[in-house]
Amino acid sequence: MLKRKNKPKSQLFIVGFLCLIIGLLVFFSTPLKKLREEVFENMRLAIFQMQINEDNTTINNIQTENLIVIDGETDSSNNANNSPSYTYIGQLSIPSINFKRGFVSKDSKYNNINYNVTIAKEADYPDVKNGNFILMAHSGNAYISFFDNLYKLEIGAKATVSYEAKTYTYQLVKTYNQPKTGKIAIYRDYTKKTLTLITCTHNDDYNQTIYIFEEI
Amino acid sequence: MDLNFFDRLITLIKLPFSSFLTIELLIIFIILYIFCLYNEKRKNKIVKYGFLGLIIFFFSFTFFYFSKDILNVLEEIIKTLMTIFYFPNIIFYILTVLITLGILIYNIFTVKTTKLNKIIIYTLTFLHQFLFVNFLVLAISNNISLIDTANIYQRNDMFIITYFSQIIFIIIILYKLIYHFCYIKKDKLKKDI
Repeated sequence: MLKRKNKPKSQLFIVGFLCLIIGLLVFFSTPLKKLREEVFENMRLAIFQMQINEDNTTINNIQTENLIVIDGETDSSNNANNSPSYTYIGQLSIPSINFKRGFVSKDSKYNNINYNVTIAKEADYPDVKNGNFILMAHSGNAYISFFDNLYKLEIGAKATVSYEAKTYTYQLVKTYNQPKTGKIAIYRDYTKKTLTLITCTHNDDYNQTIYIFEEI
Repeated sequence: MDLNFFDRLITLIKLPFSSFLTIELLIIFIILYIFCLYNEKRKNKIVKYGFLGLIIFFFSFTFFYFSKDILNVLEEIIKTLMTIFYFPNIIFYILTVLITLGILIYNIFTVKTTKLNKIIIYTLTFLHQFLFVNFLVLAISNNISLIDTANIYQRNDMFIITYFSQIIFIIIILYKLIYHFCYIKKDKLKKDI
């Protein structure tokens, strides 16, 4: 008798508990995804940093007299099996908004706005003289909104780009908005090396903001 | 950091008297402590609920005034847990292996359990141990240093092994918890009847 009375109650409790868990998971899925992305990003950056350190150690230890030429094809085939999903070639840091993120090469399939901070096809790499290094990313609430805090930047804010074991320091000189038409005009000083960051305008569905940084 | 034990102890004793606020906090905590001890003798229900209400009020008050900081702390806790889950360091990984090994040994010798439970535990723990052995073999054959966590996870195969090991470990722990919870509950029910 006691069992019969308790059974529907306990079943109702289990169903309610499950519904609560599912509801909480749905509600917190986006922030959790964002945190997961941050955790993975930290590990990718740690791997990138480790590889730079290894490269520097190798460069320092090379003795030109005993150089052995390694066959490029064999080396790449060995690495192909064990290569990570994507390897960073550089890193963008903006200390004032606590931003740090890596970027992959232009040819990588992960050089895509849905995976990473993306290098524009038209961009020059940071080592090109008077070149323009253009990076794009989403902003908003999604977990891939890597540039969601760019709107907090003020003129004079500093940004650094690490590329090929060198660090390039830039300073924000201007920002402007343009409508989202599929095309974008970049107004910059062609006598200086620049860094351009492009993202959607904060709380505006129809415009995008362009941040122009110049090397210092 | 470089103080000896007695200096640390003296600093700890001096700490509550360092400012008016800390003295005030000390008095509040002592009053609440004595109140709780005294109530153990009186066993007044109102005091129990009042105390619970006080704790809830204290946390609500803290959350209201420091919500941003608390959210940041929560975020950091979740990130640490995620890092432990996705990219455990070698110490944590070995710890999980030792725990599953303990569960396996207990499972071999215990008689107070069902055959099905034994089979499930054997399957999960052996799988976990097998993955760990594979992890070690990979590290040795590729000459990978396990001290640096980033060094481990730059390889996909190592990441996959630890990832599935963690999933199996969580399943084992959850299964054990649920099993024991149900077992104890069932046992209690039987006794009640």
